Amino acid sequence: MKTTNTITLQKSSFTFLSLVFAFFFFSSVAQAQEITVKGIVKGNVETEIEPLMEATVYLKGTNYATTTNKKGEFTFPKKLKKGDILVFTYLGYLKKQIKINEKSSFMTVVLEEESIEMLGALNSNKRYKSKRPKQ
Amino acid sequence: MRKFGFLLLFIVVHKSFSQESDFKNINFSRADLIAKTYQSKNLNDLNKLTSNLTKKLDTDVEKFRAIYIWITHNIANDFRLYAKNHRKRKRFKNDSIKLEKWNSRFKNILFKKLLKRKRTICTGYAYLLKEMCATVGIKSIMVNGSGRTSTMDVEDLAYANHTWNLVKLNNKWYLCDPTWSTGISYPEDGKFIFNYDNGYFLTEPKIFFFNHFPVVPEHSLLAPNMPSFNEFVEKPVLYAKGYTILSDHISPKKMYHEVRRNEEFTFQYLLKKEIDLKKVKFVFTNNVSEKTVKPMVSLNDSLLTLKHTFKKRGFYDVHFYLDNDIIATYTFKILK
Repeated sequence: MKTTNTITLQKSSFTFLSLVFAFFFFSSVAQAQEITVKGIVKGNVETEIEPLMEATVYLKGTNYATTTNKKGEFTFPKKLKKGDILVFTYLGYLKKQIKINEKSSFMTVVLEEESIEMLGALNSNKRYKSKRPKQ
Repeated sequence: MRKFGFLLLFIVVHKSFSQESDFKNINFSRADLIAKTYQSKNLNDLNKLTSNLTKKLDTDVEKFRAIYIWITHNIANDFRLYAKNHRKRKRFKNDSIKLEKWNSRFKNILFKKLLKRKRTICTGYAYLLKEMCATVGIKSIMVNGSGRTSTMDVEDLAYANHTWNLVKLNNKWYLCDPTWSTGISYPEDGKFIFNYDNGYFLTEPKIFFFNHFPVVPEHSLLAPNMPSFNEFVEKPVLYAKGYTILSDHISPKKMYHEVRRNEEFTFQYLLKKEIDLKKVKFVFTNNVSEKTVKPMVSLNDSLLTLKHTFKKRGFYDVHFYLDNDIIATYTFKILK
């Protein structure tokens, strides 16, 4: 009696294991699937949120990059896989990194303005001239 | 042991004075060549630009140099933007909501112009430098404060008007001013001329302070001994050329002096490179005339001492020149 029991147990564990294996096998196939990533990049301009033209989108750790068009849209030139990281940058805005997953085929990214005080002083090489007190 | 102590003292003293000279053994010619020959129409891909500028260089300081040289040879000063911003900031000085709104709008205009036309004002330079450094793992921060030039009066300095950078190389902080390294604007003539000035590249903090008063004292690299704002405003005017030849301006500490006739007055400087002592001169100016005077010159190691005895009563601007380059200006009232 006891022996049959063990056999059934082994059998079921085998099925279970093969199922697990199959799951990983197929999911890894799914993982390896490449996605074309499209999207739109926005940022706050004054108080409104508007599309950002010529924002840079690049694949982290590589030189693959693209820039957004007038409407803030982009199509990434290289097909990406799950786990890749896209970096969104635009001067004056904080960098944003986004990890690619199955749902990444279209993404809307809103960049936050970096708080910078805009200042500027012109350099001069003019000789100093005293303002004469009236005598 | 005593010898060793002396040596140690020498090293410490030497270190506190040297800045760019910390990297004396590094030849920047490779970094400079890459930066000066690399063309980029716009700044859309900052990552690629920075990578192309730095990938063949080994050390952080060379990478930083290539970025600095590229920026200062490619990004123009936009004095129209500067003037507009100056006007608005002055007008909204006491209205923080309006000022913030203006700042946000202006920021947008400014960065668009920087990306497309490669023109900007100080904060744009400092920001670009910081960002490009970040992509190659060099830490740089933007410093806001009062930038002082010969054409400004105290009123212009009362609030922050300028931005420059601190950069960390080999675990030590250094100062630089990419905007002023780039060249000089002539607003009256409506032009800007690229004229790279190495004096603002990794400058000695004591010299840098003559024209840069940071909002945060630590950013001067002189804390806790940073002079007060009043001391800053009363300092003599130091020009760009002064940054190139001096490692310290020892005395006088102030711009304005009242001296008796026939009294000897002493000026002292620490030189960072050899100069032709025969070319040292003073030019005295008042409303009506200009006169060139040779002071008594002596040099002890790198300590340059100039002495002069004023003979005539009156009020003069006294300009220290090396050949045709103006170094500093002082004002003197000569009493009876």
